Amino acid sequence: MKIIKFSPLFLLFIFCVSLIPLFTQQEVVLSIREGMPAIPVACPSFHQEDNHPLVKEAAQTLRDILLADLRYSRVFIPLPESYYQYVPPLNPQNIQFKNWESIQAKLLFVGSVSQGEKENSVVLEGKIYDVKSQRFILGRKYNIDPSLLRLAAHKMADELMKLYGEPPLFTSKIVFVSNRDGNDEIYLMDYDGQNQVRLTYNRVRDYMPAWAPDRKKIAYTSFKEGQAILYILDLEQGKLTTVQNEGTNFAPAFSPDGKKLAFCSTLEEGNSEIYVAQSNGTKIRRLTFNKAIDTAPTWSPTSREIAFTSDRSGTPQIYIMDAEGTNIRHVSFGGNYHDAPAWAPTGERLAYVSRVNLIFDLYILNLRTNQIIKLTESNARNESPAWSPDGRHLVFSSNRKGTIQIFSIDYDGTNLRQLTFQGENKLPDWSK
Amino acid sequence: MKKLIVLSLVLLVTFVFFTGCRKKVEEVPPPPPQVKEQPKVEKVETPPQVKEPELTEEEIFERKTLEELNAEQPLQMVHFDFDKYDIREDAKPVLAANAAWLKKWTSVKILIEGHCDERGTEEYNLALGEKRAKAVFDYLVSLGISSDRMRIISYGKSQPLDPGHNEEAWAKNRRAQFTVIAK
Repeated sequence: MKIIKFSPLFLLFIFCVSLIPLFTQQEVVLSIREGMPAIPVACPSFHQEDNHPLVKEAAQTLRDILLADLRYSRVFIPLPESYYQYVPPLNPQNIQFKNWESIQAKLLFVGSVSQGEKENSVVLEGKIYDVKSQRFILGRKYNIDPSLLRLAAHKMADELMKLYGEPPLFTSKIVFVSNRDGNDEIYLMDYDGQNQVRLTYNRVRDYMPAWAPDRKKIAYTSFKEGQAILYILDLEQGKLTTVQNEGTNFAPAFSPDGKKLAFCSTLEEGNSEIYVAQSNGTKIRRLTFNKAIDTAPTWSPTSREIAFTSDRSGTPQIYIMDAEGTNIRHVSFGGNYHDAPAWAPTGERLAYVSRVNLIFDLYILNLRTNQIIKLTESNARNESPAWSPDGRHLVFSSNRKGTIQIFSIDYDGTNLRQLTFQGENKLPDWSK
Repeated sequence: MKKLIVLSLVLLVTFVFFTGCRKKVEEVPPPPPQVKEQPKVEKVETPPQVKEPELTEEEIFERKTLEELNAEQPLQMVHFDFDKYDIREDAKPVLAANAAWLKKWTSVKILIEGHCDERGTEEYNLALGEKRAKAVFDYLVSLGISSDRMRIISYGKSQPLDPGHNEEAWAKNRRAQFTVIAK
């Protein structure tokens, strides 16, 4: 199966074929991840070191969250629960790796939960073993306040991701705009839609938030007294810095190297142009010089190029330029309304919105092969795609269920999930 | 040497002081009567002429708060074609009337808000709304309204006038509307 170079058609082929019992179990798995098989993880029930009801409950919750994370990851795949009946219960002191190998586990996660020192707290100890080599790979111990069970499980799952060279995904946060409390304000949530909290408290609209790559700052636009001011909010210090307060300023995007902040401003001539500042908001420089609209900048993973939308050809189309504003080339094709490009952190994919017959769907353009996949298929407006840190998932907004809500979807159009339900929610950005 | 300099400085200062005083003394007498006369004339003239409507149009305007004034919508909004930002023929007389009102109330400053319908993406619409506001701005400038009396902003599709999802609602929502921000 080394021939897999990602091609959507080929994936489709594999998906169809995998339903026929022609391939073995593992080859089915292989089709799910690009080029590499997802790693089957055995995760038997967590050992409970004492009989306290709190420990029992925490052991169950922690395991459920960890498994949900692994299932979502597409890097790992938890063994089906039914497989555990074929092996004797795990004895952490004397692990029979042959048993686990026989049910096709590559990794074995051994979790044990005990009571913590502080009242109501629990301790999770997680050990990861490589089944084939029968070796201990990694161990982690977390002292957990009962309100932070989810976070602990996410951290544990992220340790597994790191082990395979993946960026932390499960502790990442999605920032978005919601009107659930009256007017558009900025909110945060976990990758799975849990822990939705309000971040800004203004009477005016706060809009188009974007994460800095350090996960500590958010740039956003706030509408005040007829001005659309671009701010950088430092989440740790609670400090707000003004970047640009003349004209309408919007669509901020931090470069992945954390050095620059690109954004749109109508400072000159009431026409949206792309500007770039240092990541602290200083030294603003204009990048586009054009009578047409230039908007929605997104950085390449190397921070050396910027994709953006421009209607210089008559309708909104997607272009790429060098980070200095030079070497502009037209990359979108087929259709006359493309916007909201989002460059995947893994490099070759550009997600965007295309309007066809007044329906907005998400597409992914592979910049290397020039192939396009249609990601969403609904008679609705699917908008504002943003990639997960590992480039396997996206969040976007959609009004497919009537109101505008935030959904997540995988890069191949599978695994659609609704993340928000309260009020209207839009303009998500996923921390990298 | 030092004494000489100090002395000459003192002389210079006193000279300046005296000439200054003299000028002031000369100029002071005329203004007061002027100042006194003007209000007298007004006071004498206005009360007998109109007793009941006491306030002139200017005074009524003067007494309104910005909120009250905006509630009256003295400036009519204009609409745009789908995906377009050029001023429509039917918008021109509306803008001419708006310009006339602005010429009458020369102290007024306005905000021109550009809006879009929901059939555009968030990012592009914000830029398009700005283009619509700018088109109106430019048209009003061409009618003789000073550019420093106007500011523009775009709300994209975030503030629809009509929440509907049909042709009629969309047509209403593609608009530039006006807010008086100073008078």
